Amino acid sequence: MAALAEGHAPTIALDGARKQRGSLTQARIRWMILGVLIGFALVGGRLVQLGMVETDQTIEGQTRDAIQASRPPILDRNGLEMAVDIRVPSLYAEPRRIIDVEEAVQKLRTVLPDLSEEWLRNRLSGDRGFVWVQRELTPAIQDQVMRLGIPGIDFITESKRFYPAMNEAAHILGSTNVDNQGIAGIERHMDSESIALLQELGLARGNALTPVELSVDMRVQHVLHDQLMDAMTRYQAIAAAGVMMDIYTGEIIALASVPDFNPNEPATALVKDTFNRITSGIFEPGSIFKTITIAGALDSGAVRVTDQFDARYGVRFGRYTISDFHGKNRILSLPEVYKYSSNIGTIRIMQAMGKDNFRDFLSRLKFDERVAFELPEMRVPTVPKTLSEVGAATASFGHGLSVSPLHMVTAYAALVNGGNYIAPTLYKRDVAEAETLYERVLSPQTSDVMRYLMRLNALEGSGSQMNRAAQGYRAGGKTGTAEKVVDGRYSSSKVTNFFASAFPLDNPRYAIVVMVDEPKAENPQSGTTAGWNAGTLTGRLIQRVAPMLGVAPDFNEALDRQIVPPALR
Amino acid sequence: MIRSINIFLIVLSIVMLASVYALKFSIEGTAAERTALTARIADQEGQLSLLKADWAVLNQPGHIDPIVRRHEAELEIAQVKQEQFGSFAGLPMRPAKPDSAAMNALFEAIAQGIDPIDAILELEGIE
Repeated sequence: MAALAEGHAPTIALDGARKQRGSLTQARIRWMILGVLIGFALVGGRLVQLGMVETDQTIEGQTRDAIQASRPPILDRNGLEMAVDIRVPSLYAEPRRIIDVEEAVQKLRTVLPDLSEEWLRNRLSGDRGFVWVQRELTPAIQDQVMRLGIPGIDFITESKRFYPAMNEAAHILGSTNVDNQGIAGIERHMDSESIALLQELGLARGNALTPVELSVDMRVQHVLHDQLMDAMTRYQAIAAAGVMMDIYTGEIIALASVPDFNPNEPATALVKDTFNRITSGIFEPGSIFKTITIAGALDSGAVRVTDQFDARYGVRFGRYTISDFHGKNRILSLPEVYKYSSNIGTIRIMQAMGKDNFRDFLSRLKFDERVAFELPEMRVPTVPKTLSEVGAATASFGHGLSVSPLHMVTAYAALVNGGNYIAPTLYKRDVAEAETLYERVLSPQTSDVMRYLMRLNALEGSGSQMNRAAQGYRAGGKTGTAEKVVDGRYSSSKVTNFFASAFPLDNPRYAIVVMVDEPKAENPQSGTTAGWNAGTLTGRLIQRVAPMLGVAPDFNEALDRQIVPPALR
Repeated sequence: MIRSINIFLIVLSIVMLASVYALKFSIEGTAAERTALTARIADQEGQLSLLKADWAVLNQPGHIDPIVRRHEAELEIAQVKQEQFGSFAGLPMRPAKPDSAAMNALFEAIAQGIDPIDAILELEGIE
């Protein structure tokens, strides 16, 4: 008590053991919370940091997916591969990881001596993360480079387009660039359709893409290409081209033009004169156009197949007189006009129809617009908007207007298939599908007469050379020898020859247009007109491809008699 | 009591730690295996694409045609001609069956020594 009494000396307040422990625990809890918060903050911060990082997926501005993107294989109508993807190694470097540039350059040049030393040194020095060194190499070179053991040099597997048929279907397929994008032909068309989008999305990878089936038959394509190459040497021609079409579906069975290029080496496509003459070449068609004129006139009802035309004298237009090449100088019946390829007779037939009706008929056959076709290499034909008297006269036998051979084959198909215009296609199409696209341009009766006239020309007219080779296949067609314009004048020595045909004419299925540019006589006994070169070429072509297409030869003459129009029997 | 629970918990946590690590390593092993397999598949797909391309080249008419031409003489093959095609409709009708009854009668007659030719010869005045 004394202490208490002494009183107000400072008091010592002793916390109880429990309280003491309590405050200590609280401090510890605070520290722990702090520690846990810091821990979480660290983890969270790192997460945010990781989230912010953009991983570099691009290779020199392109996504990795685009580089490894594949294209669907292209098959012909029988399932034979026309274009496939192969995986090839491409050499790249990571300059920032290369330790000794000089050593890397020397070593690489032992395997790839084609690379310029200077260029390679520039390429490999610096601080970049990725540079291509050489793309699309062979596995053997890959092995050799790997054995050099240079740090910072590695391979990536790329898809590369390969065309097993080499030159044969070059103009159909086109080609792709080093990034596997289509730059010409059907490859380009496929890109514009859908594949580019798939590639961009990174979906077009691996082998999962559905193959694209074309209407082309590689066997026929081979024979056509083979015959065109043969024509180049046989007739010393500067170019040759041919196209074959299924007249009911519009499917292109074969299409070739030489000189051509190897799509596996796209640079060869840049050589002069390798353009696709079938779609992007326009020519004066010459006498093969008479078939069109006669069909138009017959269909208009202005002339009948039994009519006679005066071909005794040339047709005068002011100072000019148009006469015949093989002049008969007598009155000709309509089949004779066709058979003897009479310019005068054709002009009279066109005049009976009227030049404006004739011009309308050309529009109906779509001669003044581009053919609706998949290949991007197309040219607009030049057909005058309105025809003068003399212009119509020359146009009636195929001069003064320029169209592509594709126009001609499409028109011929319409003439013999019963009179329906069907746009050609490179994709498979069946008859039912094609029928919805038909546009009637002729009556079936006119089409029947045209079949007869074409067959007649093969039996008795300028197509007889063709018929000799294609005996039994009931082929028929029209020759066309168009003189080229040299220095503003028509030259008789430089000609472009055409043969437009169809077979088998008792029940036609295929239309063909063959072109031989500036041919020379094969031997002194032969000539340079179309029957000698384009004609015989067509004959040999039909002789080889008809069995492949399931057309059996038949020597029965009744078949030829049966297609003669009743009026002439 | 608490002590034994503690010991149990410690043992349990050690076991779980070990098993989690074992799981982790086994998953890493599986992942590595998968990566290796993917790489192998990619490699084989690459080789397959080359083989397919090879096959496509060998199958091209443009590749086969020269081979055929080269061996034309030895194999005695040539391009088919129009005359070589035929059809069932083109075959002539099967000839009528031989008259076997008449033949039998003839042979029996000869066996019996009667030769019908003799009669004709006699008629013609030969012999």
